[in-house]
Amino acid sequence: MRLLVVEDEQALRSTLAEQFADQGFIVDAAGDGVEGLYFATEYPIDLAIVDLGLPELPGMELIRRMRAAGKTCPVLILTARGQWQEKVEGLQAGADDYVVKPFHFEEVLARVQALLRRSGGWADAVLRSGTVSLDTRSQQVSVGGENVDLTSFEYRMLECLMLSAGKVMSKAELTDRLYNQDFERDSNTIEVFIRRLRKKLDPDNMLQPIETLRGRGYRWNLEKSA
Amino acid sequence: MYSLNNRLLTAASALLLAFFALTVLALDAAFKDTGLRGMEDVLDARIITLLAVAEPGEGDSLVIPPDLPEARLSHPGSGLYARLTDGAGREIWRSPSSVGSSVDYGPLPAVGEHYTQESRLGQDAKVLTHSFAIEWEFADGTVRPFVFAVAESLDSYYAQIGRFRQQMMGWFLLLWLLMLLALALLLRWGLRPVRRIATEIVAVEQGARDDLGTGYPRELEGVRRNMNGLIASQRDRLRRYRDALGDLAHSLKTPLAILRSQTESSREPDFTVLRDQVSRMDEIVSYQLKRAAAAGRGGLGEKPLDVGEVLAGLQGALGKVYADKNIGIKVELEGKPLFFGDRGDLTEIVGNLLDNACKWCTAEVRIEASSLDEAETNRKRGLRLLIDDDGPGVAAELEAKILERGGRASSDVEGQGIGLAVVREIVAGYRGNVGFSRSPLGGARVTVTLPGGA
Repeated sequence: MRLLVVEDEQALRSTLAEQFADQGFIVDAAGDGVEGLYFATEYPIDLAIVDLGLPELPGMELIRRMRAAGKTCPVLILTARGQWQEKVEGLQAGADDYVVKPFHFEEVLARVQALLRRSGGWADAVLRSGTVSLDTRSQQVSVGGENVDLTSFEYRMLECLMLSAGKVMSKAELTDRLYNQDFERDSNTIEVFIRRLRKKLDPDNMLQPIETLRGRGYRWNLEKSA
Repeated sequence: MYSLNNRLLTAASALLLAFFALTVLALDAAFKDTGLRGMEDVLDARIITLLAVAEPGEGDSLVIPPDLPEARLSHPGSGLYARLTDGAGREIWRSPSSVGSSVDYGPLPAVGEHYTQESRLGQDAKVLTHSFAIEWEFADGTVRPFVFAVAESLDSYYAQIGRFRQQMMGWFLLLWLLMLLALALLLRWGLRPVRRIATEIVAVEQGARDDLGTGYPRELEGVRRNMNGLIASQRDRLRRYRDALGDLAHSLKTPLAILRSQTESSREPDFTVLRDQVSRMDEIVSYQLKRAAAAGRGGLGEKPLDVGEVLAGLQGALGKVYADKNIGIKVELEGKPLFFGDRGDLTEIVGNLLDNACKWCTAEVRIEASSLDEAETNRKRGLRLLIDDDGPGVAAELEAKILERGGRASSDVEGQGIGLAVVREIVAGYRGNVGFSRSPLGGARVTVTLPGGA
């Protein structure tokens, strides 16, 4: 998943970026509101973490402009003051949740995962679809109750597909969400990993959870179950 | 810098001056008119006396005997002149006083009529002339017109007017000065309360007084009350800042001491302890920060706040935050409740309580707002808020809070969680109170009462 972190405090920004990258996110980081707005409108981001006290363009205004530009991805705000007035204003401007500084990374991660799940239409932290279940907290995947051993890359790919279940993900979209910008893109790797994922999830080719739409991309095809 | 006193004095003196000037003009005109009319009457009488001494002479003419009734008519330059002409204006007789000066008597009036005019005599003398035309019936029955005319010098008249003007101006000037003096004294006395307010404010600033005293006139009573409210809220805020700062410094000492002992001991520091202390310090700072940020009752007539609007904002915000939990947050308003206070304070109170309710509830949270009826002495009305949830109930929630805070209940916020402590603090600032009871929904009910200000 692709994440945008807009935070002017350099130390906090790089720590957050590193920690999210460690969790398998592709992270774009911006140090002020104007840069943040540029990233938000130009890059295919899935979620934005926005500090409210930003130079150049205040966080509140950044969110408002993102929304005005038609960006619907979830936005998590970071607030230092933690007063309700500020939280309400932020949420009214178009944010979806808030975290008060200082915070534990686990808390931010949990909020981010919850927001991503919610935007994909999933109610629970464990995504259950057919016999496949993916626990976003422990990053455990099981099929029919049996644990499946996935590499980190395979897990992220599966998470991407399941979070946008029912929608077609083009190879380019998957690449954006799975690789850093400076990574050399080779669309064949995506095909290779899809094949491996299919093999691990569905060795007997009975479920067919990932559908290939020729020339358009891939789609998670199993029904969501509560 | 202009002064109220000077403004009023300048305006009043200008007004008085204009008023006096108009009075002087009117009096002058009236005096002049009356004087002229009086002279006219005198001249009329003189014509009558001349008429009385006139006798018919030869050839249907009239003769004025040399023995004149008025001695001044006989002395040249006496200032009183007379003339007799026939109907065509031919002179029949002229008084000996007219020798050497020619008086212009103006046009001849018709028979039975008067004609009066002011005319010049020589360089700078002025006379008032008065002519009267009559018809004389002679013994033979012929009737002929004659015009009797007299003129009297206006010198003494003008001298009189001059004297009158001088006196009048003198008196009015004196009157003007006296009135200004009286006005200045009046203003000094009338504006004394204003000066007193200024002096007392300075005294408050310098710390010599606590607030503005009593005994102000009705017009300034509102100013005094608002000023005192402002001073009180200012002092309150200052006290809160000072308290918060003191408490902050004080309560940070313990975790700091623990951190120091950890880093200074020879053993490897225990990271759980460090982490615990850091989050404890974070809690302390955010609690004291919120406590200090509360605005409190402002004292000055705040714009009333639409409670419904604030609640709707929070309803939307918390709906987003707790989207996963599928909570029905219901807002019920009784009428259109208003809050006379700071928007941030109300948002903070309700935000914390609603957040708490959402955290503990199963599926339902309800907030009810209504206006509190106050005794008539209170101008502002109060506000009552009821926050209900269908969670495990008050006792369980509070207990869990204490557990949640890891048994550090006694350290700074008395074991109710930062949110609740902040709510208590803000509500106390409005002289209200917070109560807990069982909710009809099954969980906890928090009742917040915010009485109206004085």
